[in-house]
Formats: sequence, C-alpha cells, structure tokens
Amino acid sequence: MSFEKQRDEVAALCKKLLADGAVSRVVGFREGGVEGMSLPYIFTDPAGVDMLTWNSRCLPNLNGYLTGGEGNTAIVAKPCDARAVVALISEKQLRREDIHIIGLVCDGMVDANGDPLPACVECSVNCPPVYDDLIDDPDVAEKTGGEQVSNDTSLERFEAEIDKCILCFSCRQACYGCYCQTCFMDRGSPGWQPTVPGRGDKMLYHAGRTMHLAGRCVECGACENACASGVDIRYLIREVTNFVGELYDYRAGMDLDARPAMLSYAAGDREVGFLGGDGDGH
Amino acid sequence: MSQAKAQDPAPHTREWTPRIVAFLCNWCSYAGADLAGTGRNQYPPSVRVIRVPCSGRINPIYIIKALVDGADGVMVSGCHPGDCHYLAGNFYARRRFTVLKRLLTTMGLSPDRVHFTWVSASEGARFAGVVREVTEKVAALGPSRIMKGGDMDEL
Ligand code: SF4
Ligand code: SF4
Ligand code: FES
Repeated sequence: MSFEKQRDEVAALCKKLLADGAVSRVVGFREGGVEGMSLPYIFTDPAGVDMLTWNSRCLPNLNGYLTGGEGNTAIVAKPCDARAVVALISEKQLRREDIHIIGLVCDGMVDANGDPLPACVECSVNCPPVYDDLIDDPDVAEKTGGEQVSNDTSLERFEAEIDKCILCFSCRQACYGCYCQTCFMDRGSPGWQPTVPGRGDKMLYHAGRTMHLAGRCVECGACENACASGVDIRYLIREVTNFVGELYDYRAGMDLDARPAMLSYAAGDREVGFLGGDGDGH
Repeated sequence: MSQAKAQDPAPHTREWTPRIVAFLCNWCSYAGADLAGTGRNQYPPSVRVIRVPCSGRINPIYIIKALVDGADGVMVSGCHPGDCHYLAGNFYARRRFTVLKRLLTTMGLSPDRVHFTWVSASEGARFAGVVREVTEKVAALGPSRIMKGGDMDEL
C-alpha cells in the first residue's frame, strides 16, 4: 500500500533531518489518542521518529503546532497543510527559511467509518504547491478538479445548521487561520460574545469567522472534521472562497509571491451587489 | 372617556417604519448628509447615523452585529473610490463589502437588507436619494426577525 511506502520515506527523511541538525523539530503524526485516529506529534529525537505514522486518518491541520520552539521546524505536510504554511508565510506569521516542508502527495483522508471526508472529495489539490522535499505516490493520479458542490443558500439551511451548533468553538481551534491572540468572540469589551447561545449569536460567530477567513481558507476541512455536532457550516466559507477566486483571481496558499486578496485592491475592482454597482450580488 | 380611549391608537397598531443603521465616513458621506440637511433635501427619518473615520474603518462585524441586534437594514457609504481621505481605505473596504454581501446572501439574508454606496461631500441631494431608495427596499421586506436568541424567519 502506498501509505506504508510513503511513511517509510518520510520517517527516513525526518531521521536524517533531525540527526543532521537541519531542523530541531518535526511536526507530524503518531498513533494514539482516540482509537483509529492519528495524533499530531512533535518529534525532536531521531530515535523517536520510529513512532511516526502516515495513514488515511491523519486529519488535523498541523499548522497550529508550527510556531514556538528553537531552530527550524519541519512539517509533514498534506497538500492542505502545505497551503496553510504558504498562507501563514504570506501573512508574515512564519518565515520561509524557518520551515522545511515535507510535502506528501495525498489521495484524501477518511472518517471513522472509512468513508472519504467531504473536504477531501471536493479537494482539487493533491500535490503540495510548495515543498522542500516531495514524497510522491505513483498510485495517486493527478487531480484536475474536485467534486463540485452546489450551494443551497436558503435561510432554512442556515437555520438548520446553526441550530445544531453549540458554540463550542472547536472549528475555530482547528483552523490554521484562526491565530488571533484574542478572538473577537472571547473579547470582553466590546462584548460580542454570547451569554446564552441563541441564533443571533451563532450568526455573529459564524458570519464573523467566515469574514475573517475570506480569501484565506485553504479548504482543508479541519473545521468540519472537528465539529462534534455535525454542523456543516463550511458551505459559507466555500462560497466565499469561490467568489474571491472568481472576482480577484486568488486562492490562498498556492503561490508564495501572491498578495492575499483581502490585503490588496485594484482601482477597477467590481462592485457586485453595490447600489448602482455591477451585478446583483447573486 | 372610553370614547377618547378608542380614538387613541394602541402602540402596536402604530405604523411600522424601518430602522436602518447607516455607517457614514466622516470626510464625504457624513458631510453629504449634512449638506442634504442644509440644502433641505427631504428624506425619510429611518436612518440612524454612525459616523466613522473612513469606510475602511468599518469592521464587517459591526454590520453583522447591527443586524443581529435588530436593525431592519444597514447602509454603508464612503468617499468615492479615489477620493478617500486616507487614500486607499475605501479600496480595501470595497473588497470587504463585496465579499460580505455575498456571505450574507449565502446565509439566506435578502440582498436588499444591506446596501453599500459612495456619496461625496457635495452630493447632498444624492444622499437624500440613496436614503429614500434604501428605505423603500427595506420597507418592502418588512421588519427583520434576526434577533439575539430570537427566531429568524422572514429575514
Ligand atoms: S475555514 Fe475550515 S476549511 Fe478553511 S482553512 Fe479553516 S479549518 Fe480549513
Ligand atoms: S465545532 Fe461545530 S458546534 Fe462547535 S462552534 Fe463550530 S460549528 Fe458550532
Ligand atoms: S475617508 Fe471616506 S472612505 Fe476613507
């Protein structure tokens, strides 16, 4: 199986990087934690790398573990992890020279029942766009496009999704892009945060978070994988990501030299949905 | 006495008029609103103006929060592109508002609840026209039901 072959190659490479002192830490996965689920782990000792694992259950986005620590860090990166690294570099949260990207060609992860995860089915990037080393998998054919999902934009759908939400903020914790020291939802003044989770507060949270991720989402699906209540609120950011791509020709984490869409402008930007603008906002 | 009471309309039968929160940039649109006043351009008293230094200073969460806290509509106006007092604030704001509107309509909100436009300090009559247009559109939708903890049908 391809996972085992890739795993052995990654482990050998990580051992070498640690032994040579090229990096002081490797962020990857090991067995453990919840049964059948791989656990993010920071390897610092070449001997410890024997525990490293790479399988179809390496779900979390590892970018939350990149900052801090001395010296350079290597990351065992799925394409979406690699895109998040690139996005963090574009946002000046990381320096390219501090990170060693071990990119893996990836055919998608599966859930506890072995079914492909929704984000992986939709994913169109199965080779990391930027890497230092690439661990290929000849069995994985190059993808040209993911499955297209049509978005139901009715109020009923939004209500049905937020009614399941318990405002636990796991989706925020799982997201590479939510790195604010104090999230607007946790701020005491002004007090955006809810006292009792109602629909309005959930709307504030999900709409606010989606705006913060506009043009930054790397389509990893970590938010929905982390949700214990089965809320599919990712459709909001999917729509926004596609819209930003269409309007400003930008996709987060694909190109180190591209300036993030919401941090730039053009004099002739379209005014879709404006009073007297072009287009009706649909 | 009971007759006098019968003539007095009960508060809940009073005609509903939309409550619209208007975020206006200090340097253009707020001055435009002022000019509409001094020029005696008539417009409906439906807007509650919040003056901000620049359209680029408007955090999209302000707009969402206004809707969540019961505004029937929101309008935002800044200097025309190219005329921003801080040079490029409205260019960044333009992208933000474009994306925000798409997000809100994806959530099922009517596109007529939020409006973005540009009004300069010399366009008093235009400001009055914009308020009239926005008020008509929001009035046609009826009261907003987005409320803290409330029920959200008929957005
Ligand atoms: S919003 Fe969700 S899919 Fe997008 S980057 Fe964050 S965790 Fe990944
Ligand atoms: S993880 Fe799920 S339940 Fe928790 S805040 Fe996010 S959407 Fe709501
Ligand atoms: S000062 Fe008016 S939009 Fe920037």
